Amino acid sequence: MVYLDWASTSPPDSEILAEAGRVATEFFGNPSSRHGPGSAARSKLEEARTRLAAAILGEAAASPATPRGRFAFTGGGTEADGIPLLSLLRAALGARRDGSVKRLHLVTTEIEHAAVYEEALLLKSLGIGVSFVGPEPDGRVDPRKIAAAVEKDSALVAVMAVNNETGAIQPLSEISKAVAAAAAAFGRSPPRLHVDAVQALGKVRFDPASAGAGSAAFSAHKLGGPRGIGALWAAASLETLSVGGGQEGSLRPGTESLQGAWAFAAAAAYARDSFARRADHARELETRLISGLSSIPGALALPLGRGPSDERYSPYILSAAFPGLSGEVLVRSLSDSGIAVSAGSACSSNSKRAGRRVMRAMGLPEDIALSSIRVSSGEGTTKADIDAFLEAASLAYRRLKA
Amino acid sequence: MEAFYLIKVGEILLKLGNRREFEERLRSQLQRRFASVGLAHKIEMYPGRFFVTVPEEQAADAEFLLSRTPGINGYARAIKAAKSVEAVLEAAVEVARGQMARGKRKFKAESRRSDKSFPLGSFELSARIGDAVLEALPESRVDLHHPEFTINAEIRERAYVFADAEPGLRGLPSGSGGKGLLLLSGGIDSPVAGYMMARRGLAIDALYFHAYPYTSQEARDKVERLARVLSTYTGGLDLWTAPFTETQLKIKRDAREDLTTLMMRAAMMQAAQFLAESIEANCIVTGESLGQVASQTAENLRFTQSVTDFPVLRPLAGMDKEDTIALAKGIGTFDISILPYEDCCVLFSPKHPLLRAKLERERAAYDRLALEPFLRESLSKAERVEIPLSLIARQAAAEVRP
Repeated sequence: MVYLDWASTSPPDSEILAEAGRVATEFFGNPSSRHGPGSAARSKLEEARTRLAAAILGEAAASPATPRGRFAFTGGGTEADGIPLLSLLRAALGARRDGSVKRLHLVTTEIEHAAVYEEALLLKSLGIGVSFVGPEPDGRVDPRKIAAAVEKDSALVAVMAVNNETGAIQPLSEISKAVAAAAAAFGRSPPRLHVDAVQALGKVRFDPASAGAGSAAFSAHKLGGPRGIGALWAAASLETLSVGGGQEGSLRPGTESLQGAWAFAAAAAYARDSFARRADHARELETRLISGLSSIPGALALPLGRGPSDERYSPYILSAAFPGLSGEVLVRSLSDSGIAVSAGSACSSNSKRAGRRVMRAMGLPEDIALSSIRVSSGEGTTKADIDAFLEAASLAYRRLKA
Repeated sequence: MEAFYLIKVGEILLKLGNRREFEERLRSQLQRRFASVGLAHKIEMYPGRFFVTVPEEQAADAEFLLSRTPGINGYARAIKAAKSVEAVLEAAVEVARGQMARGKRKFKAESRRSDKSFPLGSFELSARIGDAVLEALPESRVDLHHPEFTINAEIRERAYVFADAEPGLRGLPSGSGGKGLLLLSGGIDSPVAGYMMARRGLAIDALYFHAYPYTSQEARDKVERLARVLSTYTGGLDLWTAPFTETQLKIKRDAREDLTTLMMRAAMMQAAQFLAESIEANCIVTGESLGQVASQTAENLRFTQSVTDFPVLRPLAGMDKEDTIALAKGIGTFDISILPYEDCCVLFSPKHPLLRAKLERERAAYDRLALEPFLRESLSKAERVEIPLSLIARQAAAEVRP
């Protein structure tokens, strides 16, 4: 099996999972309990949090003496995105004593993962104003367009760090500066910037604080960790929509998963330590992939014009188009040849139109958008994997295209 | 306890010459259908009336089968009584009590007497029933013009008392019209066409063309689900799945682009001809509707059917799409048909398909493709799946009101 779908999920690191299992078994107490086993579990949980913070923010920023924001463990990346978005509802509904709804506005993009995009649509249906900003043909959003979408009552701007289909790295620092300037023009402080950093963690350099973010979402299973655990970093406290036992600084109530937290921290630490080595490897594979594609007549690397080692893109993710052959058909055919890739984001593959939302938003013509697939690599990917993909794709394309 | 049903046979009565044969066919259909779902039952047959007895706890299953068996005009849960006035009146009160438990009050009584030795005439018996019910159930009211229920008493070999009959499918018993081969796709139309012809007494086999990887395994599963629903009307069916990819590729390679859809349709028709011959079907059934899509103009239908000498029955030819959809909802296939698994056709059907085939010219083009070996090969690899009548569809089944 040639696995080239690491952006959907990565194979778990069995040592990390085993270690986390041992820790959770030994420290089984409920971290909220005020007895021995409880406080032992609590201190392990906090140890995991500190390790995670150190892995993502750096040692200095993670030090309890000079904390920069706080990490709350969540049930995954989607939940970590949902918490700040849904908090808008509480702000809108709870702002006025007379029960009237305060008008609030959200700025986001047309290329967000469903975790943000669908949530934004839900908010819109519930009365929150939402502006969707489209990307440029290179897959990146123009900070000026984000700034232009900011309104007087914009309370949140949500932009992802790395697009999950194109790998396009979004210019977050420029965006946060432009947003601040736009808000200043209204004589107010800037709206909070939420960053979906799920495809960034361990893959591209991303520091939420220096990017100007107020919150950021992370997930463990894209970098060797288990499913069901993510994290929300927040610079300041949030009025969340769901309440309960007040765990995780009230950001994510519910008994904490020490097993998940421990594994996530270990996976993130490993990702930090191996960052440069893996990045070099990914660039090498990306170069091989893009140049291989260029020798398949008709095939295109996306976004159009993307070449190897382009700093605008994550080297781990590449979309490619095979015009005249539907992406889903190619995915099935490759799967029969033992090669796993995806047609668009696996999370949106259920519905054909939504699955091509990002491609369409970049202004790609229908036949290119519908014929796109995503190839994503990881630490375990080899050159032979890339070559096997190129050969099988080339064969299938020649045989099956219209 | 037992549930006893009186069954009114339908059109059978009109066909006096074949009455015995048709009744026998309906009887054996009922026998087979009840047996295939493991329903213990007893069938009695008299001219114009059948009676089925099943265990009480299987009454719902029995009613499901009765409502879907072609050739049945209506059926009613009935009480068998001795041929005495007292027994009939007692049964009538029980029937009325059952109806009133469903909130109905206003009734009338109707009697038929084929046994003239019964002491009361029909009119008198109806009057006595009215009196008895009014006396036993003081809440009831006689209303001859707008009754909420009717108490029927039939004095035949025994006395039968029942309230209003549930409508059956009507039509003709399965198999009385021979066997048809249905071209079944995953769409809305073909299952409806199959249902309509099954109702006209055709036994049905279905043929599905599977063009993997253009069509997905999900699409195939969907066709099987449709066949399962259809089987509740046909009393089970054989679903043939023929691999069609090679034929499709050949057509794509060698046919003019604007003719590909047309050539594909003709190829399917010819494959159907070959299969129909080998399974001894006597007609081909399709869901085509005049003018619905480009391939379904009268000229194009003439061309596609020119490759077969079987009658091609198109029960939807004159139906409005909205009506077809309503029928599909009624028979329980619509929700399956609209599942989004048809992915390739839209993208790669010709942009400007030929609208008006010229028979000789297009036949010559078709013959030049020399598809017969491809079609024979496809059929030799076709898989046959026996889809037995099952009760799976019962829960989901919408009411059928054809």
